[in-house]
Amino acid sequence: MSLFVLSLGFGVVTASVLSIAALGFTLQFGISNVLNLAYSSFMTLAGFIAYWLNTKGLDIWLCLVVATAATAILSLGLSRVVYEPFIRRGARSFEILIISLAVGVAITNLLLAFIGPSGFSYPGVQRASVYHFAGLTLSSDQLVVVAIAVVLMIGSHLLLTATSIGRALRATAENSELARACGIATPRITRIVWLLSGALCGAAGVVLFLSISSFSVQSGQDFLIPIVAAAVLGGIGQPYGAMLGALIIGLASEVSAAFINPSDKEVVAFALLVLVLLARPQGLFAEAARQREVIT
Amino acid sequence: MSSAAQFYLTNILVFFGVDLIAVWGLNLQFGVTGIVNFAFIVLQSAGAYTAALLTLGPSSGNGGFQHYFGGTRLPFPLPLIAAGFVGAILSALLAILTRRRLRGDYAAMVLLVVSLMATTIVQNQSGFLNGSAGLSLVPAPFQSIMNLTLVGYAWFYVGLTAVLCLIALAVVRAISNSPLGRAMRASRDNEESAAAIGLDVSRARMTAYVVGGALAGVSGALLVQYIGTWAPGAWLYPETFVYFAAVIVGGRGNVLGVAIGSLLVNIAIVEVTRYLPQFGPAGFIDAMQWVVIGLLIMAFLWLRPRGIVPERARQYDLARRPGAGRAASRESADREAEAP
Repeated sequence: MSLFVLSLGFGVVTASVLSIAALGFTLQFGISNVLNLAYSSFMTLAGFIAYWLNTKGLDIWLCLVVATAATAILSLGLSRVVYEPFIRRGARSFEILIISLAVGVAITNLLLAFIGPSGFSYPGVQRASVYHFAGLTLSSDQLVVVAIAVVLMIGSHLLLTATSIGRALRATAENSELARACGIATPRITRIVWLLSGALCGAAGVVLFLSISSFSVQSGQDFLIPIVAAAVLGGIGQPYGAMLGALIIGLASEVSAAFINPSDKEVVAFALLVLVLLARPQGLFAEAARQREVIT
Repeated sequence: MSSAAQFYLTNILVFFGVDLIAVWGLNLQFGVTGIVNFAFIVLQSAGAYTAALLTLGPSSGNGGFQHYFGGTRLPFPLPLIAAGFVGAILSALLAILTRRRLRGDYAAMVLLVVSLMATTIVQNQSGFLNGSAGLSLVPAPFQSIMNLTLVGYAWFYVGLTAVLCLIALAVVRAISNSPLGRAMRASRDNEESAAAIGLDVSRARMTAYVVGGALAGVSGALLVQYIGTWAPGAWLYPETFVYFAAVIVGGRGNVLGVAIGSLLVNIAIVEVTRYLPQFGPAGFIDAMQWVVIGLLIMAFLWLRPRGIVPERARQYDLARRPGAGRAASRESADREAEAP
């Protein structure tokens, strides 16, 4: 039982990181209709921007903010410089996908070329204080990771429901032509979503690296499996689906890791993904998948 | 030619032959049928592991320094054939996983995850295929009984590779020029229309998956029996991406084009960087090679999306059919000429 509760604690941490990443990934797809496989490379990039700033003596929480902002801008830049011109030329969706993978491979290997394959950890982070409550054992920075995720999820919820930009975002995701006809500047909304998802991607990258003891250039890439699993489980393009999917995938993989070989925990995420695809490919919340004609 | 130069040349020829078979398999899936199979390298790797397991003998051999399941010693063509079968079966499973008419890019993303997952599983299960260390000391066919010098044997293997390349070429050409091949191209260009005029789209796609998978498996088997070793590091997901680069650069759907693409991307880029002066930190040039390939794909998709040797526009003579006049035939020829 205590092992179960303990793993539940890890599950909450993993689910927190995953919820941030999956929310950004799914929002980006829901509005821009681009499946961006460079996403996990941008997470790694953000993590290393924060690392570089951290070695320069900047406080880790400031690093988080700066890396998040930087990734948001880079993400918008990627869309403006690479994806938008290709889309304007009428590139088909699979070509955009290959281009996104090209960007991802190029960025990962640029990082590899200049940083190398070795493992790092944030120098300015102490892992001293550990808190116990209700059988859970969490370190202070794990608690902060969970807190950041909760704040970001609530913030995203408020943004989507209570602001005019959020309403425009949801309208564009639902039906971009109708949204346009109603006077929503959908190109502007698309740009905003690249900024927003870039910010979530950046935050997820830094938080991911905070939550694992040692990270390398490869760490972000490994995280693509649970991100896709969470997004597909929740119904691709559905923000709340992604949050729920992240919670399920995060908890399921960490809790099962307590009972099977821990190195197999990605297998659980993957098995869930395969099951969802075979049984209910539209995901738990099917609407967006149908809207986008992902499944016919 | 000195034996060192000969050895270098034979190596390149064998690698090129292996890449040709693989790239023709991928071209059948991606170029002809429009399937974006980002797990392609897994199929090649499955073939390589199959051939290795079927030639290495029991796991306890060679002092038991590597651990794997199965493990027998079969005579030459059997491991190769088995590798083709395993590639085909695995590929069919991928087709079933994405069979629900998933949008092409969505299915491709799932296949990329499959590729990442396969690497993770093989790396973590040390008793399955010897984990990250991979399998080594895979025997080469007939080498022990042929009594040839190293270079002599290498030339023999070049010949074997060439024969398999010709078989692969015959297979892809036969399929591509058959009615099924036309169904493949039709389902690539417009799936709804192809289905609407009564073409069996799912059969065309399944054939592309299976035949492409078999070719990938054979290419892996051919490679592993030559280099003698196979490990997860050899088939990380970016390797699929290199084959996609070859197909895109060469010309999607064109057998000759993708062969040229393979020569440029799989062989030339790797061999040229070998002669560059080493600079920067260790692994710098290797990493930059990937950056170059990524940029190459983007450049080609932007500047020359149909590749160096574009797929030739096929014309079917409507005039020969009773009831269709010359005008109709000219009209269709004009339409072909206008096509981008």
